[in-house]
Amino acid sequence: MLNELLLKFATWLDTFQASTDLHEALYMYGWVEGTHVLTLTLFLGMLLVIDLRLLGVAFREIPASTIIERLDRPMMIGFIIMLITGVLLYFAIPVRSTQSIWFRIKVVLLIAAGINALLIRNMTRASDMSWDNDPVPPKRIRLGATLSLGLWALVVAAGRMMAYDWWDCHKEMPYFMYWAAGCVNELAAFE
Amino acid sequence: MDVVFIFQWLDASALADFTKTWAGLFAAVQTVHILSMVMLCGMMMLGDLRMMNVILKGVPSEPIIENTKKWIYLALVLIILTGIYEASAIAMKLAYNSFFFAKMAGLSMGIIFMLSLRNAVYLRAPEEIGANGERSESVPVWVVKLVAFTSLLIWFTVAASGRWIGFS
Repeated sequence: MLNELLLKFATWLDTFQASTDLHEALYMYGWVEGTHVLTLTLFLGMLLVIDLRLLGVAFREIPASTIIERLDRPMMIGFIIMLITGVLLYFAIPVRSTQSIWFRIKVVLLIAAGINALLIRNMTRASDMSWDNDPVPPKRIRLGATLSLGLWALVVAAGRMMAYDWWDCHKEMPYFMYWAAGCVNELAAFE
Repeated sequence: MDVVFIFQWLDASALADFTKTWAGLFAAVQTVHILSMVMLCGMMMLGDLRMMNVILKGVPSEPIIENTKKWIYLALVLIILTGIYEASAIAMKLAYNSFFFAKMAGLSMGIIFMLSLRNAVYLRAPEEIGANGERSESVPVWVVKLVAFTSLLIWFTVAASGRWIGFS
């Protein structure tokens, strides 16, 4: 049911001339994708600095709260531009993206990373920050930072894998993979 | 100077055979390449934007720059190793790709610039930028900011031309 709805939405997006134009525009598509990758370095780069401080492996001389609060804005600027360009990239190739197992994994990981970020934020705000100047923060904070780094590395990996067609719907795959990738027509043929 | 023979040698190497055989591993190496680029650019941006007084203003610059160094070196080693692995799979395509040569020129320039001018100038940042106390041999503010801006520009060019290799 969800797969059918998602495909219907993607097919509807695909009917827009702007979607086709963006996909077929060599320079514009390249600029959008290039901006997506470059702002990824800003967003993830700042996040890496924050997480390394929360892990207690770098920037130990600087209070954790200073790093978190002062790098929040450049990190969010990177995130917002990355999000906008990401939506545009999806808009340019809606059907294939919707039916890409890697895109689906990426979205799930993005949600998990977002929840983890919120949890870390709440944990740091709820704590009295008595560990602010400690070179190594408490274990629960370090665990959150490890999860954050791991999840974002997997998001990048899934994004990179989207370029490959190993498990695209036109390939011969087991039933589960057709289901997971949302290959509605292939699933119907299977049944 | 004709450097095509280097690409021909790489294309005929055992590494190229291995890379072309294992597509899944190639994709994983690409991911490590991107993550290393994120590490490099993130640390560079942190240092350069700090020295431009855009972020972390007032926080002493010395520990920031010092902390970024080992991560920058680690990222550079990973970028070069994974880059050679990736290049071996498409060596002959790269031999005639202008963006690849732009990236290599930028990368070399970036490394030389970082090890020479960037490191030397950042160590001599005046109190107004470095917040490390007065220095006897400090350089003017505009020199520090110019060096930071140039560094950002060089690494932006490296990353952008690297991305454009895929489109050309």
